[in-house]
Amino acid sequence: MEKRSIMHMFDPMPHTSPFDINMAVDAGFDVVIPYDNVKPEEVAGLVRDAIFSRGPVGVKRTGVFIGGRDIGVALNMSDAAKKAMVPPFEVSVLADPSGAFTTAAALVALVEKKLKVHHGLELKGQRAVVFGGTGPVGVATGVIASLAGAEVTLVDPFNIGTALDKANEYNQRCGSTLKGTFASSDADKARLISSADVVFCTAKAGVQVLNASILSDAKQLKVAGDVNAVPPLGIEGIKRKHCGEPLVHATNSAGAVGIGSLAIGDIKYQLQNRLLALLLEADQPVFLDFRAAFERARELV
Amino acid sequence: MEKPYILHMFTPEKNLSPFDVNMALDAGWSAVVPYLGIELGEVTALVQDAIFSRSPSGVKRTGIFIGGRDVKMAIDILRTARKSMVPEFGFEVSALADPSGSFTTAAAMVAMVEQELKQSFQTDLAGKNILALGGTGPVGQIAAVLAAKAGAKVKVVGRQLEKAQRVAELCNQEYGEGKTGIEGQADANKAELIKTADVVFATAAAGIEVLSAELVAAGPQLKVAADVNAVPPPGIAGLEAHHKGTPIVGSKSGAVGIGALAIGAIKYQAQHRLLLRMREGKPVYYDYNDAFAVAREAVLG
Repeated sequence: MEKRSIMHMFDPMPHTSPFDINMAVDAGFDVVIPYDNVKPEEVAGLVRDAIFSRGPVGVKRTGVFIGGRDIGVALNMSDAAKKAMVPPFEVSVLADPSGAFTTAAALVALVEKKLKVHHGLELKGQRAVVFGGTGPVGVATGVIASLAGAEVTLVDPFNIGTALDKANEYNQRCGSTLKGTFASSDADKARLISSADVVFCTAKAGVQVLNASILSDAKQLKVAGDVNAVPPLGIEGIKRKHCGEPLVHATNSAGAVGIGSLAIGDIKYQLQNRLLALLLEADQPVFLDFRAAFERARELV
Repeated sequence: MEKPYILHMFTPEKNLSPFDVNMALDAGWSAVVPYLGIELGEVTALVQDAIFSRSPSGVKRTGIFIGGRDVKMAIDILRTARKSMVPEFGFEVSALADPSGSFTTAAAMVAMVEQELKQSFQTDLAGKNILALGGTGPVGQIAAVLAAKAGAKVKVVGRQLEKAQRVAELCNQEYGEGKTGIEGQADANKAELIKTADVVFATAAAGIEVLSAELVAAGPQLKVAADVNAVPPPGIAGLEAHHKGTPIVGSKSGAVGIGALAIGAIKYQAQHRLLLRMREGKPVYYDYNDAFAVAREAVLG
């Protein structure tokens, strides 16, 4: 009999997300075991215990998922897991804290596609602004877009220090070229988007970041995406199901289009399912984070 | 392929009860996932994470179990979980609360007592004087509530009068829906109380005798005595764990006894049926009232 597939889910928080547990079960893992309150320094020990108990056939049927809320912590845990492997005793690892990697990958891949379809452009060289840019989805979005060649600015709603710290931290860690700034007033936001080609809105749920008046200041906006599914939505005029509909309030940006949260969520869902399934299918162990998520998201869109 | 059945098991304690885990797996839930040390403030986020990650067909195959040791906490979690659902969009899953197995145990005991009253004495619970000895714990509280709702006059009896009165008040306010007038009484008054008692529940900690042979003999109208204690000595003198409608030696009123093993068999069936039913049809929220309904079915065979 084939060995059952086992997913070990490591989470630095008190509870693994039921969302991720459902996804792991639905992707075909037979047994899903949460490990809560995991500290990064505990990862190596846990991974070793996971890899040495099933033999070469069993390790292929074993996976590690890294969750939590902080992408820096998740990347550290992911690195620690990778280093702890002892080939051929190694298992596949997927990191997706707060779903941030898959959400960001889906968002950037959709924006890239709409840039191509509606404007015949690549992400490379586009000026992109990420509102809510210092949260997990915002940082991951910024890093992915930056590595794809866009000139990305992370925007914190209150504090420029927070934005600069995040930009520096992830530039060093991931090789991106993020800039940071803040925008607390409508005037700040209008100034920022006046020269933006792309807007990513990854702010808190239920907060409108860009109203019609601010949007009318955009002079060269091409595509805007909003991950907020809770009204009021993040960008006025973008509905949840929008996927390339005209951005009606960007009156001074010809041909600008919007992407809403359900369109992004649909790709995110498929993407997470796909990545989880990959852990089981791959012949060699795979280590999947936001980079792999973006590659697969590009295929999906 | 149909999606697997996933049961998210919440407990405020640091471990689940292996009893409940076994029961869930034996009732056909394929993935059983623990969430430990749950606080009330965390429930909404966890429930929403659980409901939003599966399609409508998956939601029907998802459930929440609420364990722990504290009745009030379990009921509060159940109520909060119910409020956290989003039924207008079809995102709603069933939940079952059974802290310490107390809902199903109490339900089984009261249903069996009711059955014995009918078979051996051609009467029912209405108007009967019931003593819940050692009644301040979870099983005693809920047994008192179920019997009182069926019309009995119940006294919760504990070592400290003040605590017994506090528990009686809690039962009336929180669980009785305004239909119960449970009173608190002190252990020291047992000799007096037994003179008018029709029914005795023994729900004290294992290994404590709460009704001596002397007191059994001193009950002129005692009809049925039930004891959930399976560890010798019995909670009621002369009542053995396997007794099921067996005359109690030394009772001058011809009282019959129901022992822990007989109650346990019905408790098992009640919990099993609830775990099965929570995934049939529309989402349901099962508490002690539902446990009592299925226990009444189970005693009929």
